[in-house]
Amino acid sequence: MKWWLTKAGDPTGKVAGNTSMEDVVQQSVLFSSVERLLGWGRKNSMWPFHFGLSCCFVEMATAMTPKYDLARFGAEVIRGTPREADVMIIAGTVFIKMAPVIQRLHEQMMEPRWVISMGSCANSGGMYDIYSVVQGVDKFLPVDVYVPGCPPRPDAFMQGLLLLQDSVGKEQRPLSWVIGDHGVIRPEMPSQRERLHDHRQQMTQFKTPDEI
Amino acid sequence: MPITVTEEISARFGEDAVITLLTRDETPTIRTPREKVVAILQYLKSDINMPFRMLYDLTAIDERAYKKEQNGHKPYDFTLVYTLFSFERNEFLRLKTGLHGEFPTHDTITHIWPAANWYEREVYDMFGIRFNGHPHLQRILMPRTWEGYPLRKEHPARATEMGPFKLFDDKVDREQHAMQFRPEEWGLKRHSEDADFMFLNIGPQHPGTHGVLRIILQLDGENIIDAVPDIGFHHRGAEKMAERQSWHTYIPYTDRIDYLGGVNNNLAYLLAVEKLGGIDVPLRAQVIRIMLCELFRIASHLVWYGTFAQDLGQLSPVFYMFTDRERVFEIIEAICGGRMHPNWFRIGGVAQDLPKGWDTLVKNFIDYFPRKLREYDKMVMKNYLFKVRTKGIGIYTLEEAIEWGVTGPGLRACGLEWDMRKKRPYGGYENFAFEIPVAHNGDCYDRAVVRVEEMRQSLRIVQQCLEYMPAGDFKSHHPLATPPVKQHTMHDIETLIHHFLNVSWGPVIPPGEAMVCTEATKGWNSYYLISDGNTASYRTHIRTPSFPHMQMIPLISKGYTVADLLSILGGMDYVLADIDR
Ligand code: SF4
Repeated sequence: MKWWLTKAGDPTGKVAGNTSMEDVVQQSVLFSSVERLLGWGRKNSMWPFHFGLSCCFVEMATAMTPKYDLARFGAEVIRGTPREADVMIIAGTVFIKMAPVIQRLHEQMMEPRWVISMGSCANSGGMYDIYSVVQGVDKFLPVDVYVPGCPPRPDAFMQGLLLLQDSVGKEQRPLSWVIGDHGVIRPEMPSQRERLHDHRQQMTQFKTPDEI
Repeated sequence: MPITVTEEISARFGEDAVITLLTRDETPTIRTPREKVVAILQYLKSDINMPFRMLYDLTAIDERAYKKEQNGHKPYDFTLVYTLFSFERNEFLRLKTGLHGEFPTHDTITHIWPAANWYEREVYDMFGIRFNGHPHLQRILMPRTWEGYPLRKEHPARATEMGPFKLFDDKVDREQHAMQFRPEEWGLKRHSEDADFMFLNIGPQHPGTHGVLRIILQLDGENIIDAVPDIGFHHRGAEKMAERQSWHTYIPYTDRIDYLGGVNNNLAYLLAVEKLGGIDVPLRAQVIRIMLCELFRIASHLVWYGTFAQDLGQLSPVFYMFTDRERVFEIIEAICGGRMHPNWFRIGGVAQDLPKGWDTLVKNFIDYFPRKLREYDKMVMKNYLFKVRTKGIGIYTLEEAIEWGVTGPGLRACGLEWDMRKKRPYGGYENFAFEIPVAHNGDCYDRAVVRVEEMRQSLRIVQQCLEYMPAGDFKSHHPLATPPVKQHTMHDIETLIHHFLNVSWGPVIPPGEAMVCTEATKGWNSYYLISDGNTASYRTHIRTPSFPHMQMIPLISKGYTVADLLSILGGMDYVLADIDR
């Protein structure tokens, strides 16, 4: 699908080309499949659930503030109720006392719904291998993206969100119960570690901690 | 020579009522027989000259697992520890009383200090010690369905020792059922003479509670009749963790107690460790520590400032304040490499020297920030709606504050000029000039006034650090400093062995107990450490300011409306990890 932006105030007629019929049609008519259009819409308006568990949540909230500005990716509309949210970010430690509550909140989100696990605690229990902590939220919830870090920097969280958007944009979901197969077809998402391995290996110069 | 508390107690209760114990922190510590402890506490609170009016802390120790015998014998199974504070004397006092038996019981002191309520519940929850006469002895941190008492030595520490975690539907139902609120259990009525009360559940997931906190309100229309806070959703077992991490590797866990306060937590912990080890910190390291602590105080107060305004409906301040917080983090990142959890202090100093160019960063911030604070005054503090929603809301008096263990800005907003950095200076604060801001009405607005002024004072301290940063070592040469200074290792076998052991096993801290009370961002914070001469602590207890503050919620929200509750919560400035640990 191709799309572009025009500046506000630009007369709509002021288009590239020689304003022939062909040019105008090309720039104002959009061909796409319904499936892709929906994917595009879902991808660019992900509404996160206002849900935080622990320290990681502060970094997630920081991602909404001007320096990072999550609004650039259409995901700054935080919803206070799970019923209006698309993505649940498990930002923080998953406590055993909290697990049944998290489970219920996840159930209350409407399909399609996604889960980002943010931070080592949510990924695996992290540094808290202790009696009151569940060793990773994937013990009871399906996770779409894992963001490593303790806490992940806001940038890392945003990268996780972008990866999820990428996958959501390509996801195929049944349009109605009478059309097509009923399953969700998820795109293949390669492991970031493998994808970036060569690039990372090329880094040989590291700044010493003696300078700022 | 004035007579000491110990002498006063033994004059009144007999010689056998007092055994003076030696500790490394010079806090007067006595052991008393369990029959007498309640009477002694009553006496200390109300009858003694210059009384100990604040119950600073109450905790227990499971004594059954000492590797070595203490003082040549092993007399008790459990010990209860009461820590009191007297403002008149400017002195802490620690009382211990030993208990025998597998699941001992003891008398409550909730009739002396209502604030003992939650502390006793915590001891029950963690150790299984029951308190006779307690108004509501229930688990407080762990789920009600929990079996066992986590801080007992026989309880497993690791989640991976307890089998895989499964969350079946019936388990969810069971847990949800256990979480159901039953007013009768808390002695709350469902009706008054002319009205039916409504019970409103807020949390554990709610945007206004700043984390996983649950409060149940008993409402008559919009008015709060009573409130029941339910905590423990954020319990990460930090105290149990200390029993298996080495003294050195526990430092990152402290970062995560008050997770907005960063290195302030490191400091509270390390001061106690250094007391135990008898380590002196070089001057440069002290000043570096103080500079970082004050920067973190500013960062923490900025989060509070923004979110507080947001709680009251002002949506933009939080964006400004988080942007300024990023400026603080720029400095912190440049120095420590980390942001929220820098894990940067070490036993005997700091992790490394300041990087080249740190002074420019700090200077820029000092030039930049006062202007922003003035702007925020106009934006928030002078805002009419902000004032209306905070003035006269959530009032408590100075007496109530002391009674309930309120510390920090909440205490200073009641007119008491008391800051631990000034009154009992630690870690080098005695060398700095700054004022203690106070306010007098004890309401939410005054708490805000105090915090805002504190940011200015912190900035003053940072400026002095910048101007007078001494030259010298950033870490002590003491053999227990960890990791030890590397350049010595190649000179003689003694230092090489120390280096090898300290790096592989971690330092062995000599036996004893110590606690240093610090003025953290939210109030008084201290780590009560007991060493039995090992590479890990025998018992670590973390006294956090937010725990007693949260306990006060029912008292200070009665009679206000639901909307006021959010002002009260926001004005209190707590962090869930600081409550539940
Ligand atoms: S991953 Fe680290 S920062 Fe995040 S919640 Fe866990 S301890 Fe806190």
